[in-house]
Formats: sequence, structure tokens, C-alpha cells
Amino acid sequence: MDSLHAIGFYVSSGVLLIGALGVALLPRRGLRGAALALSGLGLAGVYYSLSAGFAGAVAFACYAGCALMVAGPQYRKVEAVAGSVWRQVGAIGAALLLAVLAFSAFRGDFVSATFKGGPFDAVALGRLLFAHDVVATEAVALLGLLAIAGGAAAWRLRERAR
Amino acid sequence: MTAGLVAVFFVACATVAVGVFGAAWRRDVSAAVATIPLMFAGAGIAFAGVARFAAAGGTHLLGQEFAVLLAVAAVALVALGLGIAGREGNR
Repeated sequence: MDSLHAIGFYVSSGVLLIGALGVALLPRRGLRGAALALSGLGLAGVYYSLSAGFAGAVAFACYAGCALMVAGPQYRKVEAVAGSVWRQVGAIGAALLLAVLAFSAFRGDFVSATFKGGPFDAVALGRLLFAHDVVATEAVALLGLLAIAGGAAAWRLRERAR
Repeated sequence: MTAGLVAVFFVACATVAVGVFGAAWRRDVSAAVATIPLMFAGAGIAFAGVARFAAAGGTHLLGQEFAVLLAVAAVALVALGLGIAGREGNR
């Protein structure tokens, strides 16, 4: 990775993490939506600096959609049933997870695997789905998303009719 | 200045950890749902980083495509979570 891409990577990472902290900590839904859009922008920059421009464009569109949903007027506040003690335990667990992941990232590296694909040739299957027929795989993912959205809409209409 | 796989992993794990922290810390379920894309973003960064720095020859689309799938799945999960929360909130 050359210097220009490295600078872009670090700047985008900073934007991403600032946005992520905003999503986790900001009090109002409008601010959280803006922070989520900011993190989507940073994520797109990270993907672009990692030579994944298409993934960056899709991620930016998806996270902008998430930001609109979070900041939109349909948002409803629902109080969780978990007490403050359990939330604090969860926050400590997140800190421990960060420590474990940071340690594994520091020690992480590629290994030379000798896996040949098993009895049904999983390697060829993965290459077929994610390299050769990648557009078809994306189309199936989009179809699944539309099916979920359509199912949710139909469910709501049926509930309203009752 | 350069950035390697370890730097990518550090950014990925920080993003996942911030997402987990937000999901655990938030009292509002809808606000906790909004942190799901952050966890997925961390996983996607790790996949894209491995694809970028993989040593084997050829084009490495697997990690990038997983990143795209994770972004689409994040939208679907946020929509589903906010929809369910909206139903509960209307009651």
C-alpha cells in the first residue's frame, strides 16, 4: 500500500471510529443518524483505500439508508428490560472483547493452509459464488432483502387490517 | 507511511468493539439496534483487508463480496429491528 492510500486509510478509519462513537454515545436520534452516515462515509473510504471501491459504494448507500431509518420520524423509543448492572457488565465485556481482538490482530498473520475443499469441493463452490458468479450472488442477496422488506410490509398491513 | 494487515485488523476490532459497547450500553432498544451496522462494518473491514493483503495470486473478490453482503444484511437487520421496535412502541 503506497503512502497516498495509507493516508486515506488512516483518515477514513478516524472518520469511521468517530462516527461509530457518535452512534454509541450521542443522545438524540437525529445526531445518531448523522453519526451513522458519517461512519458509512468513513467505511466507504476504508474500503476504497483497500482497493474495494464497489464495496465502498454499496456500503455508503446501505449506511445512508440505515442513517435515514435511525433519524426518521418512524423511530420509536423502546426501553430495554435489562437493568443497569447488566448493561455495565455488557460494557465491560465489550472492553474485554476489544482487548482480545486487539491481541489477536497484533499476533494475526496468514497461514499456509492445505485444505483442498473436502468431499463436495467447498473451495470451488466459494470461488463460483464469490468470484465467477458474483453478480448472481449479489442479485440473490438483493432479492432476499426485498423479500424481507415485502414480508414485513405485508405483515404490518395484515395487522392493521385486524 | 504504510498500512498493513495488522492496522486493518486493529480498525476492524475497534469498530466491532464500539458496536458491541453501544449495543450493551444503550437502554433504548432502537438505539441499540443502530449499532448493529457497526459490528458488521468491522467484520467487513476484516474481510476486505484479508482480500487486499492475501498472498495468493489472482483477483481476491471473496472478501469484498462478503463486505457487500454484510452491508446489505446490516440494512435488513436495522429495518427489521426498527420495524419490530416501532410495533412495540405503538402499543
